[in-house]
Amino acid sequence: MTRKTIQVTPGRCIGCLNCELACASRDWGQYFPVGSKIGLVFFSEGGQVPVTCFQCDEAPCLKVCRTGALARNEATGVIAVEPERCVGCRTCVSVCPFGNIAYSRAGRRAEKCDQCQGAPRCAAACPSGALRYVEDEEEAKARRRAFAESLRQAVTVA
Amino acid sequence: MGKDTKKVSGTIDGRETSVPRGSILLRAALDLGIGVPTLCHHPGLPPDGNCRLCSAETGGRLVASCLYPLRDDGFVVQTRSPLVVEARRFVLGLLLSRAPADGYLLGLAGEYGAKADPRLADGADGCVRCGRCLRACRAAGSEAIALVGRGWGRKVAGPFYEPPIDCVGCLACAQACPTGAIAFSEEPRSIWGRDFGLARCGSCGAILGTPGELARSGVEVTLCPSCRRREYSRAVASLPPAQS
Repeated sequence: MTRKTIQVTPGRCIGCLNCELACASRDWGQYFPVGSKIGLVFFSEGGQVPVTCFQCDEAPCLKVCRTGALARNEATGVIAVEPERCVGCRTCVSVCPFGNIAYSRAGRRAEKCDQCQGAPRCAAACPSGALRYVEDEEEAKARRRAFAESLRQAVTVA
Repeated sequence: MGKDTKKVSGTIDGRETSVPRGSILLRAALDLGIGVPTLCHHPGLPPDGNCRLCSAETGGRLVASCLYPLRDDGFVVQTRSPLVVEARRFVLGLLLSRAPADGYLLGLAGEYGAKADPRLADGADGCVRCGRCLRACRAAGSEAIALVGRGWGRKVAGPFYEPPIDCVGCLACAQACPTGAIAFSEEPRSIWGRDFGLARCGSCGAILGTPGELARSGVEVTLCPSCRRREYSRAVASLPPAQS
């Protein structure tokens, strides 16, 4: 399975908040931006940046989780919360360098972006292409390299 | 006692199944869609076999299914045999005597016809002594509380029944408690008879957690998650850091 990622292009963001609406409506069934796992950061100077979990390779949240509630799907590279396993110690919330994991007292669990298990609603709802669900660039690069290598071999054999 | 690659086969409630040797009975039953009531079981914590609600019958005796590994071929397990149902009713009566108002237990008690024992009413403090809180505490990185004493006087407490000095106030125990028996306050933070100061975000003043909680996480944090977002978003947008 190809790894995909939510690619953010801040310059294309028009600040419509459709991503927050789409994200929050999944878990809460209503426009509840606090419960959204993607958020727009607006600047007083003007402009805004949509931010959500980067699914870090060296993920601090994953390292500190002692109950296995946070786990990476090795096929997709996405880190998701298994709510039943979460004991609510909130260490992951402390260690995320980007503030992209939250704790919900109401839901009694840590909450983070799981890319909607392969069909992120935020990217689908984005009208301007600021959020795009694309193949992971590294993955794409590796495939290009593999392709180039196969070409080289073909040329060498011939 | 790790799982190995060999599979063992047998039946649970008459349904045939084949699982890796050493698989836990409770897991195997749940995977078959067989509902087994549990209370002290928490998927993220080591099983402890304290509540005995998940009891099942195999080889004519009762076992706690959350702890019982399926090791031998030809296992025959019953999760609702008369022996199991009778044991569960008795156990429910004891648990209810501790937590007579718990909705989950009352639901099960209705199903099994269990009643709290009036002779045990003096111990109805809401805590069923299942130890989920201390397992959560250990998993979170502390060992502040323990089950101390024996028999009916057994209870969860800090060393010498004092407010536990190793507690950092993270409230993981309170979240893990299946009956909600642990009193706490989020803000101001207090639990187990102790009060905790709260570290605050250097920019917006939001609560970061207790100092002990932050120290335990092993990283230095000065900003709350949303201010952290703001700071790196500014960097992304090539803006200078915000002045607090």
